Amino acid sequence: MTLTAKDFKSDLKPIWCPGCGDFGVVQAMYRALAAIGRPPHEIAFVSGIGCSSRIPGYTTAYGFNSVHGRALPIAQGIKLARPQLLVLAAGGDGDGFSIGGGHVPHAIRRNMDITYVVMDNQIYGLTKGQLSPTSPRGLQTVTSVGGSLEQPINPLLYVLAYGAGFVAQGTPADMAGLTAVIEEAIRYPGFAFVNVQSPCVTYGQENQQIKAHREQMKTLASLGHDATNMAAALARAQHYGSELYTGVFYKNPQPPQTFEAQARERQTQLGPSARPRDRILDMFRQQ
Amino acid sequence: MPTKGIDYRTISLRDALDLAVLIEEEAKERYLELADQMELHHTPDAEGFFRFMADNEDKHRVELLERRHKLFDHQPSGVTREQLFDVEAPDYSEARVFMTPREALETALRSETKAWTFFDKVLPQLVDLGVRGLFEELRAEEVHHQELVRRELAKLPPDDAFCHEDFADEPVGQD
Repeated sequence: MTLTAKDFKSDLKPIWCPGCGDFGVVQAMYRALAAIGRPPHEIAFVSGIGCSSRIPGYTTAYGFNSVHGRALPIAQGIKLARPQLLVLAAGGDGDGFSIGGGHVPHAIRRNMDITYVVMDNQIYGLTKGQLSPTSPRGLQTVTSVGGSLEQPINPLLYVLAYGAGFVAQGTPADMAGLTAVIEEAIRYPGFAFVNVQSPCVTYGQENQQIKAHREQMKTLASLGHDATNMAAALARAQHYGSELYTGVFYKNPQPPQTFEAQARERQTQLGPSARPRDRILDMFRQQ
Repeated sequence: MPTKGIDYRTISLRDALDLAVLIEEEAKERYLELADQMELHHTPDAEGFFRFMADNEDKHRVELLERRHKLFDHQPSGVTREQLFDVEAPDYSEARVFMTPREALETALRSETKAWTFFDKVLPQLVDLGVRGLFEELRAEEVHHQELVRRELAKLPPDDAFCHEDFADEPVGQD
C-alpha cells in the first residue's frame, strides 16, 4: 500500500498562530512519514508541553502529549516495550533543553532508535514570550526587559558532544530540505536529532522569521560538508546563532547497536534462568 | 525548484497534466487551511476570501482533471503530491492574525506570481511540444489571475496605519 502525506494528517485543526513555523514542520513530518511507508498504527508520537508539542494530535499516529520536558523518557519507555513501533519525540527548545534538558544526554548515551525533533524558536511562545534556553544574549523579553544576560544553549553542539549518531538542522523556509532531513533521521538506526528553526510569529524576532531564513540559510551540502566527519560537524555547529546551516551535520557511518537490541539479546540470554512473572517476588523473600 | 524528482526534459503530457492538477489541489487545500486559521482567529473577511480562492483553485483542478481523463483515461500517474512543495499554494508564513482583506488579496497575488515564475522557469527545459503548449497556457492563466486579483485590490480602500497584530488575541483553547 502506498501511503501519502494525507494519510498522516488528523482531523484536528491546528490552533497555532497564523504564520507559525510549526505548520510547515508538521507538513514536512507528514511527507517524511509517507516516504518511510510505515502505516500510522505502527508509529508512536510523543511530545512534551508547548506550542510545538501539540503536534502528535495533528497526526493520525498514536500520540502522547505528555508532561513538560518528559517526551524523551516516555518515548524511550514506549520503544523498549514495543520495539517494533517507529517512535518519534517532538517539542520545543524550552521543553527539550531547559525543563527536559537533563533527559537529552541520557537518551543519547542509551541510543534507542528514536527520532527527536525540536522546534527551536528561541522563545517560550505558549506562555507569552519569556526567555528560553536558546534565546540569544541581549534578547529583550517579558522576563528580560533589559536584555538577556545569559549565553544561549547551542542544541547542535549539545547533542554532538554527548555522542548523538545523527544530527541535522532544517527550517520550514526550505520544505524539501526539511522533509529530507526528517526522513533521513527516521531511517537512521539509533538516536537521531533534528533541530528545526521554526519561527514564532507572535513573540519571535524579525530576523528569525521564514523570509529571513530564506535569505540566511546555507545548505551544508552546498558547502561540501562531510557528514561522516565529527570534527567538521563540531566546527559547523559552533556557528549556531550566527549562521543558519541546514542539512545533516553528522551521521555516524557505523551506527552502534541500539539499546533495545542489546536488551533483547540480554533477555534471550537470561530467559532460560529467569523466574516466571508470578514468582518474581521470590527474589525478595528470605530463602 | 518547488518540485523534486521530476525531469522536465522528459515529462509526458499525461504527467504534466497530473502535475498541473496536483498544483491546483495543493493550492486549494492550503487556502482552506488558511481559511480555517482565519475562522479560528475571528477574521471573517480574510476567511471568506481564502474560501473563495479555494473554490477557484478547485474549479481549475476539475477542469484539468477532465482534460486528463479525456486524453489518458485512468492510466496511472507518474507524479505524486509528495513531489510538490508550495508551487502555487500560499506559504504558511503569509498568514497573520486579523489579516485585512487587502493583506489576504496580496497573499493571493504573491501566490499567483509564484506559480507564474514556476511555469516560466520550467518552460525552457521542455522538449515535448504538447507539454510546452500546456505550460504556456498555464503560465498565461497565471497572468490572467494576477490581473483579476489586482483589479479586486484596486477596489479596496487603503489599509489604515493600525497594526492589527499588536491587538491580536492570544492562541485560544480548542474544544
